[in-house]
Amino acid sequence: MNATTWPRAASRPSRALYLSSPIGLGHARRDVALANELRKLRPELQIDWLAQHPVTTVLEAEGERIHPASRWLANESAHIADEASGHDLHCFQALRRMDEILMANFMVFQEVVDEGCYDLVIGDEAWDVDYYWHENPELKRGQNVWLTDFVGYLPMPDGGDHEAFLTTDYNAEMIEHIDRYPWIRDRAIFVGGEADVVPDTFGGTLPAIRDWTDQHFSYSGYITGFTPPEPEELPIIRDRLGYRDDELVCVVAVGGSGVGRALIDKVVAAFPLAKKAVPELRMVVVTGPRIDSAAYPQRPGLELHGYVHRLYEHLSVCDLAVVQGGLTTTMELTAAKRPFLYFPLAHHFEQNFHVRHRLNRYGAGHYMDYAASDPDLIAARIAELVGKPVDYRDVESDGAVRAAQLIAELV
Amino acid sequence: MRACQPVAEGTVDRDGVEIHYERYGHGSPTIMLLPTWSLLHSRCWKMQIPFLARHYQVITFDPRGNGRSGRPTDEQAYGERHFAADALAVLDVTDTDRAVVVGFSMGAQRGLLLAAEHPERVSGAVFIAPAVAVGPVPARENWVEEFTTVRESYAGWQKYNRHYWMSDYEDFLEFFLSEMFTEPHSTKQREDGVGWALDTDPETLIATQLGSRVEADELRTLAALVRCPVLVMHGTADAIRPSASGAAFADLLNAALVLFDGSGHAPQARDPVRVNLVIKQFVDRIAR
Repeated sequence: MNATTWPRAASRPSRALYLSSPIGLGHARRDVALANELRKLRPELQIDWLAQHPVTTVLEAEGERIHPASRWLANESAHIADEASGHDLHCFQALRRMDEILMANFMVFQEVVDEGCYDLVIGDEAWDVDYYWHENPELKRGQNVWLTDFVGYLPMPDGGDHEAFLTTDYNAEMIEHIDRYPWIRDRAIFVGGEADVVPDTFGGTLPAIRDWTDQHFSYSGYITGFTPPEPEELPIIRDRLGYRDDELVCVVAVGGSGVGRALIDKVVAAFPLAKKAVPELRMVVVTGPRIDSAAYPQRPGLELHGYVHRLYEHLSVCDLAVVQGGLTTTMELTAAKRPFLYFPLAHHFEQNFHVRHRLNRYGAGHYMDYAASDPDLIAARIAELVGKPVDYRDVESDGAVRAAQLIAELV
Repeated sequence: MRACQPVAEGTVDRDGVEIHYERYGHGSPTIMLLPTWSLLHSRCWKMQIPFLARHYQVITFDPRGNGRSGRPTDEQAYGERHFAADALAVLDVTDTDRAVVVGFSMGAQRGLLLAAEHPERVSGAVFIAPAVAVGPVPARENWVEEFTTVRESYAGWQKYNRHYWMSDYEDFLEFFLSEMFTEPHSTKQREDGVGWALDTDPETLIATQLGSRVEADELRTLAALVRCPVLVMHGTADAIRPSASGAAFADLLNAALVLFDGSGHAPQARDPVRVNLVIKQFVDRIAR
């Protein structure tokens, strides 16, 4: 027997489908925080997640409902890892070359919303939904929320005129989409404040990004996804993690993909020089599962781990962190007021322009150019900054609540 | 990275030419996505394969002259009947009794041959922007003469010329792909097309132009033989083949016609969502 059920409108629970970008782990944590706040405002709202690895690891740990169609999704994270080479990821071109993955995943998504009676779709940088609903507006279902932490593709300088032409063309298409079909995004939320939007233009004769964003987005403030420890908690957490008062802990973290190997190589090479300058130095390198920590030399004061449980705790109490230029990790360090060196991936416009602009606004972190940094320079910076007090602007702690309020108005 | 990996692949030797095929998914019925002109290869279906393979079984193969198939130098090896015979050989080697065939542009000619002459192997046919000799002909229909004329310089469609291809193949590709995608914001689709065309070479492509085609009289004879359901899709902003030609072809075949208002020559690449949904609707209807 082939049986189906049609629920009467009055019998249906209020439902949301949540899509969280799987590129990096940052979206997952902030989206869980946002979903928790949304449920406080709308306790009856049932949230399903259309999600893929590595987002699903976070969702499973939180006991969230993962839609079974998630298994059909083509993996975006693997594509991004495949596109990276050394400390280099041409993020814009990688997104362009992800077109067939986005197409495949949109078709899965559309079948889910066609059959799921969802009142609300929340897409945290769900590029496929945003693009293809604007291209096929008749397919839209329910209220639609778009979240992002950057607006505008920006060309890398060495891409020359051609790359500037391409980013301008992509920006123009996005602007035309919103102008023609303003009803596709019922709410657009910028995860940050107005000043976090870059002061550039969309290219060519297109408008200034900040002016346009102001007209088309609401601002939630930054969503950290965790509460940084209070100053009086620091010694307790440090003690629990096994960090002694008489040592200066430098945590080196590069995310879970193999992309971080190039940075680890340089930082490990810098360790002996830094240790000589700062004898109390203890360097904790988190390689992630895809990098073989046994391949590095063993030295007193240097330790390498494939995985560290609750890495954010280590980052929140360290005396210095060395990281890539991703938004989530650098903003966690900013919120926790830890000194850090950050090395944006080469050709990654988001890390090099959008994230760097935001960190500058908070007065946070020390920018490092990977290509121009040899072990001597890295060691000198570590010695200079480890344990040094910082003077960052406070990171807002109500971003998830504000975003949830903006969304709750729709359901 | 590809969105979807084949579950099987292989090559079949057909009349001395290696034909490389791929099979995706495990569903039913089987959809064979036919090759188009050897300018492109089977990657031109990349926006269809993951979706269709989730519902059906999908078979693709690279055309002789590009991709991972052989590149015969003899123009006789590029006659339309060879492409149709390649398709049959791939159906055989994959143990596929019947398939819905989907052809884009030149792929319509080989699809028509299959549907007309091997009705037991074809349960339905979808033709996207069919390049067939019916209805209003493009202004450049004296193309054989144009194709072989030596000129001082080449502008616009004069670049569709064997001598020009030998001297500046990439510029021809840039031109042709910009004609193929007349829609704004099609940089990626054009780049993809140029890239796939660079997987072959101008000598091979010249040979593909000189093979025999399905001419107007034969086309009508073949069309009269077709018994399976047929669907034609065509963009009204197609600069390669006018949509009126696709409409006339649909009329000839008593086929359903879906016009894509404002679309260029390759809606499966530029408007893939709608093309995918139209294909699925057609397949589900005839599979019932």
